[in-house]
Amino acid sequence: MANINLKNKEIEVKVVYYGPGRGGKTTNLEYIFKTFRKQVTGQMVSAKTEGDRTLFFDFLPMGLGKVKGYDVRVQLYTVPGQVKYASTRKMVLKEVDGVVFVADSLEVRREKNMMSLKDLHQNLKEYGLSIFKIPLVLQYNKRDLSEQGIPLLPISRMESDLNRQLRVPSFPGSAIKGEGVGPTLKACLKLTLQSLKKQMGW
Amino acid sequence: MDVKKQIKSILNQAEVYRSQGLLREARDKYIHAGKMIQKHAGLIRNHKSLLISLNKKISAVKIDLRKMEDAPATKEMPESVQQIIKDHFAFSENEETRELAEALALVRFGQYTRALEDLKGLLKNEQVRAEAAKNIIRCQLTLDAVDEAVQQYRGWMKSETFTTEEAQSLRIFFQNLLDKKGGGIILPEVGAETEPEAEDAPLEMASPSEEAVHPEDLLDISSVGIPLSEGASAGRTRECDVCFQAGNMLNLLLSDRETDVLGILEPNSELEPVEFFSPIAMFEGKARVVSKKKLEAGPKKGDFSVDIQIVGLF
Repeated sequence: MANINLKNKEIEVKVVYYGPGRGGKTTNLEYIFKTFRKQVTGQMVSAKTEGDRTLFFDFLPMGLGKVKGYDVRVQLYTVPGQVKYASTRKMVLKEVDGVVFVADSLEVRREKNMMSLKDLHQNLKEYGLSIFKIPLVLQYNKRDLSEQGIPLLPISRMESDLNRQLRVPSFPGSAIKGEGVGPTLKACLKLTLQSLKKQMGW
Repeated sequence: MDVKKQIKSILNQAEVYRSQGLLREARDKYIHAGKMIQKHAGLIRNHKSLLISLNKKISAVKIDLRKMEDAPATKEMPESVQQIIKDHFAFSENEETRELAEALALVRFGQYTRALEDLKGLLKNEQVRAEAAKNIIRCQLTLDAVDEAVQQYRGWMKSETFTTEEAQSLRIFFQNLLDKKGGGIILPEVGAETEPEAEDAPLEMASPSEEAVHPEDLLDISSVGIPLSEGASAGRTRECDVCFQAGNMLNLLLSDRETDVLGILEPNSELEPVEFFSPIAMFEGKARVVSKKKLEAGPKKGDFSVDIQIVGLF
């Protein structure tokens, strides 16, 4: 559950961008950092490898204004997508309130998407959370690459692979161009705040 | 599509995958393109130079792949990242143990050098000093500073920084880590360090055959299943979450209400079989209870902290 400070009337909400390696999680945050200047309340901090891959996480703090007199702060994180960083991924996911799953639309990454979603399911389960209940939004990223003649998975196939059981909001996107980034985040925040209100009995 | 167009398309995919950092996919496409060029060499005028160029690209991608695979799982991060780790990954509700939780968060993220600085500052805090000391040793061993850790330990024992119980628990913890590391160092028993004749005594060497389960062989254990042999729940298995893991040493936090399992977890008792659960596998083995301590302060006051050591896997 979100971190609620009754004394200072502050609520901290944690949203994690999850998905396979090189799928565009960091690019999503970079675009948000550049574009949502009013809401962004601090610097984007990235813990990367020498090869520019996410090693621990990316972190971006945002403010959403007041809800029921409480100042709502959002912390956006990405996880490292590479399989070998499983334990770090799990640590970053701890006490998560909402998840954006960034799937890679490339045909060659189909299996990686499914494995990563399964990994998310397992890690949430280990924290006593259900992938079916947590505020979750899917983004089908890299749709722009079809213009370069790269084989992409049709949206219908991605829906069937990833969203058949979940039935959560999903958005096609191109994080590098900023397409779909805002709607994805807004949908996730909307679900997360709805869930928070429910938990708070508001 | 004619062959030349097919090859061009595959090469285009390889280039895009490479630019995206999808190195395995890029390598596979380059190899696929190379095979097609060889198969249809008669149709492609410059096939030899194309193959040479492709081989260079494959070699370059393989080098990048190896670099990626060999990249360390962790590295010392800038202050800004470390501060986020401390602020957002400490998960302590208790102000008294907050600083320890922050230092442990740094350890979990492999920020050993910074964690060492913070942990050393916590040795003055009676409530957390024993845990801080264990983690100082853990960090030093991870940084391959074995001699430094041994000297540090000797210094603590001489200065009587810890109670006898804390010192004994620390010795068992440290000795286990040393055993796993190999090298045959055996620490003197608690109390021996204060005797003058023991001051410069050489460290005893153990035989390599005494080594237990190698920590590098172990996955992260998230919980353990302990079979209950007594009481109403006899015959059932009680699953306990692992609070903390250092190699083959697992720390469990158990509520004082869990009398069925606490009754079994007496220091030096052997547990067999025990189920070990990791995120990707479950296996069975044998464990030994190293210590059991009632928490005297904090929100979990009254609960028990139990250290168990994995001594064998089936």
